[in-house]
Amino acid sequence: MSKEITTQVVVLGGGPGGYSAAFRAADLGLDAVIVERYNTLGGVCLNVGCIPSKALLHLAKHMEDAKHMAAEGITFAEPKIDLDKIRAHKEKVIGQLTGGLSQMAKMRKAQVVNGTGEFVSDKQLKVTDAEGNETLINFEHAIIAAGSQSIKLPFVPHDDERIWDSTAALELRFIPKRMLILGGGIIGLEMGTVYSALGAQVDVVEMTDQLIPPADKDVMKAYMKMIKSKFDNIMLNTKAAKVEAKKDAIHVTFEGDNAPDKPVKYDAVLVAVGRAPNGAKLGAENAGVKVTERGFIEVDKQLRTNVNNIFAIGDIIGQPMLAHKAVHEGHVAAEVIAGKKHFFDPKVIPSIAYTDPELAWAGLTEKEAKAQGIDYEVAVFPWSASGRAIAQGATDGMTKLLFDKHNRIIGGATVGPNAGELLGEIGLAIEMGCDAEDIALTVHAHPTLHESIGLAAEVFEGSITDLPNKKAVKKAKK
Amino acid sequence: MANLQDVLAPDVGGDEVEVIEILVSTGDEVAAEDSLITVESDKASMDIPAPFAGVVAELAVKVGDKIKEGDLLARFEAAAAEAEQEAEAEAEPAAESAAEAAAPADKQGESAPEPAASSAAGSSEIIDVVVPDIGDAGEVDVIEILVSAGDEIAAEDGLITLETDKATMDVPSPQAGVIEEVLVNTGDKVKQGSLVARLKVVSAEPKQESAPAEAAAPASAADPAPAATEQSSEPRKPPVPDHPLDKKQQTEGLAYASPAVRRLANEFGVDLTQVKGSGRKSRILKEDVQDYVKYELSRPKATAGAATAGSGGLQVIAPPQVDFSKFGEIEEVPLTRIQKISGPNLHRNWVTIPHVTQFDEADITELEAFRKQENAAQAKQKDGVKITPLVFIMKAVAKALQAYPVFNSSLHSDGEHLIMKKYIHIGIAVDTPGGLVVPVIRDVDKKGIYQLSEELLEVSARARDGKLKAQDMQGGCFSISSLGGIGGTAFTPIVNAPDVAILGVSKSEMKPKWDGQSFQPRLMLPLSLSYDHRVIDGAVAARFSVYLSSVLSDIRKLVL
Repeated sequence: MSKEITTQVVVLGGGPGGYSAAFRAADLGLDAVIVERYNTLGGVCLNVGCIPSKALLHLAKHMEDAKHMAAEGITFAEPKIDLDKIRAHKEKVIGQLTGGLSQMAKMRKAQVVNGTGEFVSDKQLKVTDAEGNETLINFEHAIIAAGSQSIKLPFVPHDDERIWDSTAALELRFIPKRMLILGGGIIGLEMGTVYSALGAQVDVVEMTDQLIPPADKDVMKAYMKMIKSKFDNIMLNTKAAKVEAKKDAIHVTFEGDNAPDKPVKYDAVLVAVGRAPNGAKLGAENAGVKVTERGFIEVDKQLRTNVNNIFAIGDIIGQPMLAHKAVHEGHVAAEVIAGKKHFFDPKVIPSIAYTDPELAWAGLTEKEAKAQGIDYEVAVFPWSASGRAIAQGATDGMTKLLFDKHNRIIGGATVGPNAGELLGEIGLAIEMGCDAEDIALTVHAHPTLHESIGLAAEVFEGSITDLPNKKAVKKAKK
Repeated sequence: MANLQDVLAPDVGGDEVEVIEILVSTGDEVAAEDSLITVESDKASMDIPAPFAGVVAELAVKVGDKIKEGDLLARFEAAAAEAEQEAEAEAEPAAESAAEAAAPADKQGESAPEPAASSAAGSSEIIDVVVPDIGDAGEVDVIEILVSAGDEIAAEDGLITLETDKATMDVPSPQAGVIEEVLVNTGDKVKQGSLVARLKVVSAEPKQESAPAEAAAPASAADPAPAATEQSSEPRKPPVPDHPLDKKQQTEGLAYASPAVRRLANEFGVDLTQVKGSGRKSRILKEDVQDYVKYELSRPKATAGAATAGSGGLQVIAPPQVDFSKFGEIEEVPLTRIQKISGPNLHRNWVTIPHVTQFDEADITELEAFRKQENAAQAKQKDGVKITPLVFIMKAVAKALQAYPVFNSSLHSDGEHLIMKKYIHIGIAVDTPGGLVVPVIRDVDKKGIYQLSEELLEVSARARDGKLKAQDMQGGCFSISSLGGIGGTAFTPIVNAPDVAILGVSKSEMKPKWDGQSFQPRLMLPLSLSYDHRVIDGAVAARFSVYLSSVLSDIRKLVL
């Protein structure tokens, strides 16, 4: 059975970027159709990514906090873990959000066609559903929001039940005794944090010399101090050379600076070495859309591909592969299609690792500033001087700001509990072009963690009184 | 002493430009300043001249290549020229500067001919830094001094900033060195060749000295007097008005504005680096963008390549966007290169010059009788040249220009003077497969009919073959556009600024003319004289026209 529909805008992919683009298009008076492979909207983020992982991290955080309170005089009993119930909780969170999305799609009269989309031409898209039914969609404009998927490694037996990608890890199939995280990036560390809290012994192997490679060394130092206890063995400058699925366990042989002599046995291995764009799977060539060798689609500042009526957003157009980037891109693409002369022109796209502690940054890191030859100055406020941080046992945290030679803020990073929630102010400050004085003069509530941003700016300004002040006027010796 | 020298691309005013034409081939002998290749950027196309004379030994680029400043274009065998230069340089360094083409006389004379000696030692010398070709006929303001005496600078570092009506630009240092003295102040007016600063240069690598570095720098400074006038009468290649967003790449991140203000600026295509912020600490507010747009809309714009006085912009609505394919089959054909270049020029001339066209008829019965008789006689000779009516018209125009010198003038860019030319070079519009070109025949008043015929034949042939050099099209005082071979009774030619008039010639026709007693069949040639009414009064134009007709009617007047 094949049917045919005609629309002004078709969005290929119903993830955060895709649905945002479609909803925005609908709100601007255009007919919009969303093509989604799965039965629910929300894509990786809502179904098997950001949201479920946060639901689990939330539980992990409370278990950890409870454990630490013994030192402060409150001792809880050992937690009892009901994996089925946790899974159900996670599903409920997902269901609430995806259900909300399908409601909003209906309200906007944005039709959702389930199935796999493939371009037939630059005017037509063919969607094939699980039963093999085809729908032909005639469109004026298309927005490609087909996302990315976990990279698979050639030497890893991915079809073994015990080899997981992030999606599998979120399924909570079982709690392994020993678990290996292959790749020290954000996704791996988040899942490692969850499984560590649930009782697994977790090792991490990372090829480079630090976890979360983009972050600055000093920030990582503070981070490592806190995260170390969550993991059994963090192997930097090391790689997994051989991964063998044997009956008793997954045997992993390591190579590099911190490699154990013998192969190590694991009950589960999470492969989290990055994500690859889905550009090669869309029949883009039929529409004349150029796809790079690696599967990315190149776009201009209005998110337009080399084909005038076809746009692309989100993971598929490049790093960073983050939902909030995709959402904004989706809005701009829809607005451009609706005739607005808008550009995707942000100064910063924030990044957050929702581990315990959290690590967050926006704008330039010190590494990037150096690489770009930018004249900058750093101001750090250590949380050991923050009353609130001391009160909640977060003294290892820090807030770091980068200013350019005009004293304008160009970047910032925070480490510690709730660090991600502090990042909003830094992002806004950069977008608004605040200088150190603006931030220092903004009255921050006391005692809070976000106060640390105002105090870091005071460090820069030389008006800080909560720390020894290096910029204080030197008095003549009496 | 065959000596291969590299010819490098000069500052081409952008990142990369595309080579669209190669004008020489291996083995060609070229003079300094002869065009080698034509490049096209997104703004304009330009010829790259030879920095020195020589024989093309090797071409390093081909059509379609992208080049940028410093890229190898060709290798020249410059042995002969160099020996000659060397000899001359010793005898008379000043006189040699023109031949060397490289720029302000003596110091170049020192560095170029004897590279090894002066450089190997790492000795220092003081050189003058002058304003290079700034792409504008007139004077420009110095708005900023970027260096001061004693500063150590690298080659290409900006020294001063100039502002023209179109853009601001830095004058770069031709070489690395230490500033000895800055010779201009903010607010000074400078022009091409003006002295900017003295630079103490420590010569370093011998290979860099070997020529192209200097030679490439201020390309065509030549000798100031006659060349300068010629330059000013040459219509500059028009930079297509650039979109503010083009510059965005390099200035991004500098604008002090919030996301909402940046979005507004994008919608209007406003370059935020050009907007002054009125907010706290000069933050750009929405109001500032709005004010900027209002100001820009109300301000008369400098049009592309404005070389004449009083060039102003017109505020017109955009042409309607029509989807022609709705009405039938269509095909998109790109404009030719010449059309792309001449289009903005023609447009500027049409909108900035108040045109009046004077129509007249010249009785050329006798002229034609004489011409046919001459051609018949020529046909009998072995290498006889056929003469065309156009040559007579050129001679007659030259005569008329002498009688009415206001037609041989240009409006000064200050809008307060006329530049009167003491020479008579006439541009002849030639229809070529690539589009309309206007080669210039020099000193028409001093040449005979036959000499002009030969020259015209030769230059037209080259024009049709697309082999005209930039110089062939420079220096005209007045243009003639003859459609006589095709037909028509009259038309309104567009004045080719900075000329002030142009003559259109249509097809001659036998007409009955009353001689007082009876109608006589006379061969009448329709003339359409368009002129710049700011310079020429209607009565003078009518007199010019009548005079021209009378000369054509009785060519004996040519010898009076």
